[in-house]
Amino acid sequence: MEYEKCYAFEPESVRPAKRRKIESQGLHASWRARHEAYQKAWREQKQRIDAELSSINFSTVQELTTFLDEAAQSNSSEAIPTAILSTGPDTSSHTSVIQQLSRTQNAQARRVFISISATTGANLKALLKATIQKATSRNEGIDDEEDDSTFQRKGAKLLNYDLQILADYVREKRLQQVAIAIQDTEAFDSDLLSELIELLGCWLDRIPFAFLFTVATSLDVLQQRLSRGAIKCLKGQLFDVAPSEDEVERAFEAIANSSTSLWIGPELMSTALERQSDYIQSIDSFVGAAQYAYMSAYYGNALSIFLDSAIKASEVSADHFEALRNLDSFRDYCRGLLDNNAIIPLRALLDSDDSLFKVVGAELSRGGEALANVMIAVEVVRELQLWAQGSRATVPSKSKLYCQAMANKLAGSSLVRSLLLSTRKAPSDAAMRTLTAVMGVEIPKDLKQQCAKIKKELTEMVMNQPNIGQTLRSEDDIKNSTLRTTVVAQKVELSKQKSTLSKQDAAYTALLRRFTDLLEEYLNKTLIDPKSLLFHEIFLYDLKSPHRETFTPRPRHAIERALAAPHDYLDCSCCAPEQGDATLAASQPATAVLYQLYLESGSLINVSDLWQAFQAVLGDSEQTEEQQMALFLRALAEMRYLGLVKGTRKRADHIAKVAWKGL
Amino acid sequence: MPKRRKPADVEDAEQSTPRKTRRTGKQDDNIESPSLAVETPSGRKSILRGTPSKANGVKDVDATPRSLRKVLFSTPAHKDNEGQQQGEGTPTAVRNDRSARRKSARTLQKQTVDEEGSVEEDVQEAELAKEILDEEGEAASEADDGEDIVVPEPSSTTNTPTKRRGRPPKQRDRTPSPPPDLPPHELYFFQNRTGGNKTSSNTLPSHLLLNHEDYFAHINDYKDPHEMDVKRLAELHKRAFDQWSFELEEGFNICLYGYGSKRELVMEFAEHMYYQQAYIHAKSKPKIVIVNGYTPGLTIRDILITLAGAVLPKASEAKLPAQPTAVLDLVLTHLTANPSSSAILLIIHSLDHSNLRKAPIPSLLARIASHSHINLLATVDTPNFGLLWDTTLLRQYQWLYHDATTFQPYRAELDVVEEVNALLGRSRRRLGGKDGVAFVLKSLPENARNLFRILVAEQLALADAEPGLHGASLEDDDDDSILGDSDEEAAAQHTPSRVRRGRPAKKAKPSAKKATKPSATAVPEGVEYRTLYHKAVAEFVCSSELNFRTLLKEFHDHQMIESRKDALGTERLVVPFGRVELEGMLEELA
Repeated sequence: MEYEKCYAFEPESVRPAKRRKIESQGLHASWRARHEAYQKAWREQKQRIDAELSSINFSTVQELTTFLDEAAQSNSSEAIPTAILSTGPDTSSHTSVIQQLSRTQNAQARRVFISISATTGANLKALLKATIQKATSRNEGIDDEEDDSTFQRKGAKLLNYDLQILADYVREKRLQQVAIAIQDTEAFDSDLLSELIELLGCWLDRIPFAFLFTVATSLDVLQQRLSRGAIKCLKGQLFDVAPSEDEVERAFEAIANSSTSLWIGPELMSTALERQSDYIQSIDSFVGAAQYAYMSAYYGNALSIFLDSAIKASEVSADHFEALRNLDSFRDYCRGLLDNNAIIPLRALLDSDDSLFKVVGAELSRGGEALANVMIAVEVVRELQLWAQGSRATVPSKSKLYCQAMANKLAGSSLVRSLLLSTRKAPSDAAMRTLTAVMGVEIPKDLKQQCAKIKKELTEMVMNQPNIGQTLRSEDDIKNSTLRTTVVAQKVELSKQKSTLSKQDAAYTALLRRFTDLLEEYLNKTLIDPKSLLFHEIFLYDLKSPHRETFTPRPRHAIERALAAPHDYLDCSCCAPEQGDATLAASQPATAVLYQLYLESGSLINVSDLWQAFQAVLGDSEQTEEQQMALFLRALAEMRYLGLVKGTRKRADHIAKVAWKGL
Repeated sequence: MPKRRKPADVEDAEQSTPRKTRRTGKQDDNIESPSLAVETPSGRKSILRGTPSKANGVKDVDATPRSLRKVLFSTPAHKDNEGQQQGEGTPTAVRNDRSARRKSARTLQKQTVDEEGSVEEDVQEAELAKEILDEEGEAASEADDGEDIVVPEPSSTTNTPTKRRGRPPKQRDRTPSPPPDLPPHELYFFQNRTGGNKTSSNTLPSHLLLNHEDYFAHINDYKDPHEMDVKRLAELHKRAFDQWSFELEEGFNICLYGYGSKRELVMEFAEHMYYQQAYIHAKSKPKIVIVNGYTPGLTIRDILITLAGAVLPKASEAKLPAQPTAVLDLVLTHLTANPSSSAILLIIHSLDHSNLRKAPIPSLLARIASHSHINLLATVDTPNFGLLWDTTLLRQYQWLYHDATTFQPYRAELDVVEEVNALLGRSRRRLGGKDGVAFVLKSLPENARNLFRILVAEQLALADAEPGLHGASLEDDDDDSILGDSDEEAAAQHTPSRVRRGRPAKKAKPSAKKATKPSATAVPEGVEYRTLYHKAVAEFVCSSELNFRTLLKEFHDHQMIESRKDALGTERLVVPFGRVELEGMLEELA
């Protein structure tokens, strides 16, 4: 079968039926339960993400729909109504807009959506053919023979790129609009695009066309590329699509939702975010990364079985409790109990699975709460940032803050400190806004009450001050103090002079201090280190390892390593390097030997010499020369296959080196 | 070109063969191993014959590679002992030839040609180093960091002799390998530095290279000492089968990379999936489609048709559209409309093979992969496969990559002997070689065999009979060599490259010794179509041209013959094999 081009697989050996499924043992036995738990958890998460993402371009989709509807109503045959979507460099978001659009439209089937791209056809004929095909065979599926006959009925047989087919179809189905979405206008040949537009413009009286163009560059560029005639055929309107960073932020917010059972740790999250921004990848890949994190958490960590709140103690095997007792965080917790002389509960935890199960349940929800609180604190910090810095653009994204907070780098950080300081300097109107904003976040009740109290006092203070309308100023703001320099005995003396501040100002300053102290206390209390929580190994997933390899592999490194140090993979006794360094050995696989010789040589390699060296390395082993040659040939062929060498015409019997290790 | 060649032709006519001339010129200084003579790829010889001027032909004698520029503008006498007279050369000459490395390489090569002994070579190299250090004075020793001779500044050659004498010759260990622990980029530049390539001019005696038969015999005999380790490695990968199936189930596609053939591993996975799915959905048969990306001549249509066979009901299979995109649309819409209980598993071996790289294929495959009812598991072999896909494709593929280094030989993926032949630019024997032809002929009717015999016999006869024609019909020599030929000529005229001059001479020499007759592949190539037809009719092999054509078509299909147009536009039929093989065939056929 290996030389067949392609075929449907049939197993060669007929296995006895009973061998089909071997019950897995140990921790892996719970995989089925975990699988279900995973599906439940991820389904919820996915719904949230989808909702979030569909809402992001909701208004755009709405606008587009009204635009198309109006166009369909007006039915003018002068110019093709054209919606131009400017997406920026990431065109993938556009596809989702189109998808949403076609989905909302599906209900009332009076409009056909056709999506074509530059790869659809290289010439006008092919494009038309594809367009007509897509438009007409939309629902018919395979048995489109009848359709053919209906068209033929009307007289002469039409060629399959004749727009008359489409016109007939439109009349027959009483379609109101044929919307053509062009995904990559930039990739189109400009003449071809102009031609297409002009041609469709001619048919506008018979077929109600509408266009959806995606523009990654700018409208001007599009205009320049089109012919004058084509532009005359179009009646365009520009729509904006949310940039991809926004999408990522929205998806992130859905993922870091407080009701989630599994939290994604800072390392992993920042890796995923980085990858997202480094290569402008579609939002799908980010969601995929999150999904994979869930998958690996549930697949790899047997204890994730406890994340399912519906699980019963009886359904969990003893192995899992044993594993639970071996967790670092649990051991620390036990030590804490021991130090506090709480022997009896400790004994219970160690001996009874049931009591442990109860503790696990309680601790997991407590941990989840703690992390949700962290999220709220992050929100507070973000509000402070927003008001301290004024504009949204300069504020770092919430996802970054999240990563910092989860890595326990936010509490007491210079960022928070400077934020509180700048709050302290704020005049009364700004302080008021900040207060309101902070209270808008779901902060704990007592904090909210205290904030409300401060707010009340502040309002009174502002109302009661003598000259109404003027803002109260803070003493801490340096703008309100002046520096005075005096020269005394040839020395410059610098003295700070508080500018005259009213009594109200002083009271205001005190109030502000109270507010910031309150906030500081709250932040310090809430922004805990997630890794200090009991059983954080279960609900916090922060392993970079499978994630990095599966999404950003280093295939070249893998191959180079396999060949340069085969022992790393084979783990054989014969090729073990003596002192750390990989060395050539006769026992290594032939390709590895040859590769290492190859590494030593220059950019041109004499095959004859290579062969001699190869023979020398293999030494006087039991193989005959022919056998060695066979190995040599195979190794050489493999090197060529891997793209490490290529033939050269420069010299006879020479090969050229193509890849340098480690580059 | 023709003008330039003319003198050569004249010369050819006068003396019996061009090779002979060369040999006489070279006899004294070249005693090559006789083995070389047997097999030097004859394709190369044509290059030699193509070298334009008579002067070149003479100079080719000298194995020392040297720049074309010099060759053209200096007298032969001077050149021949140039290596020895460096010291006495005029100042300008010395200055012009300022590359110490080139000089050393030249001398070195000359010596290595004379006696091939690595021990002696070392000694000579040391002497040479000494000599150079002596001569080049400070410039060399200052700049050199001990590993290699550095190109000295031109001025250094004008140093006074006294000064040169004054320096004690330094004897340092000169290792051919670079200093240890160079960072990769430094190593790259080190190995790519100008003149950094000092390779010997040894050639691989072709009797050492194995043919298919011998290769398989020996490789099958070979018992890999690492067999157990390789097995263990495979076991490790097999443990991930459950994980892979989970990942596929979740809508991702898997891409396996790493060294070694992943075929067996993946086939085991296919079996694993087959039984797993058969277990879950007892009624329906699991659908697994395998694509061997490495099979020559694989097209997207093959893949799509197989896929359609798995997806579509039997009835609609017969009338698939002609366009691949249309087939794909049909398959995907059908799959969306009637999803099967379990997803179809599509396995593609060697997705990065050149068969599957061409323009529409990746995007079509990505479309297949992006469908939610199709799971794709692909293996890739090259280290740079990541460059194959842009973001749009990646978005559709939704890859998860896994390192599946297996250390298993690429048994099915690679035709080792062909691959090496292509790498070394040896005459590319058609797949199957002589035995392949014999096998094909066995299955053909008597007439076809006779026709082939006539063709082979004619081709050999022509080759023997008309050596004088070579020059004239050189253009319709086999494609590769003619290409290479003009390439090299052009290159030689532009760049004064060192090596070229020497090489072809070596290649030609053995054949010159071997026979005065040119060998088969280099001949005016083949039999004229008409001639063959008449011969065939005369021998009652066929009665009509149509008949004749049908027979030829069979040969064409098996790549046993090639048809070429010569300079006059007459069609010639060529059996693309070496002389020895042709003779063997003739024997078998007779």
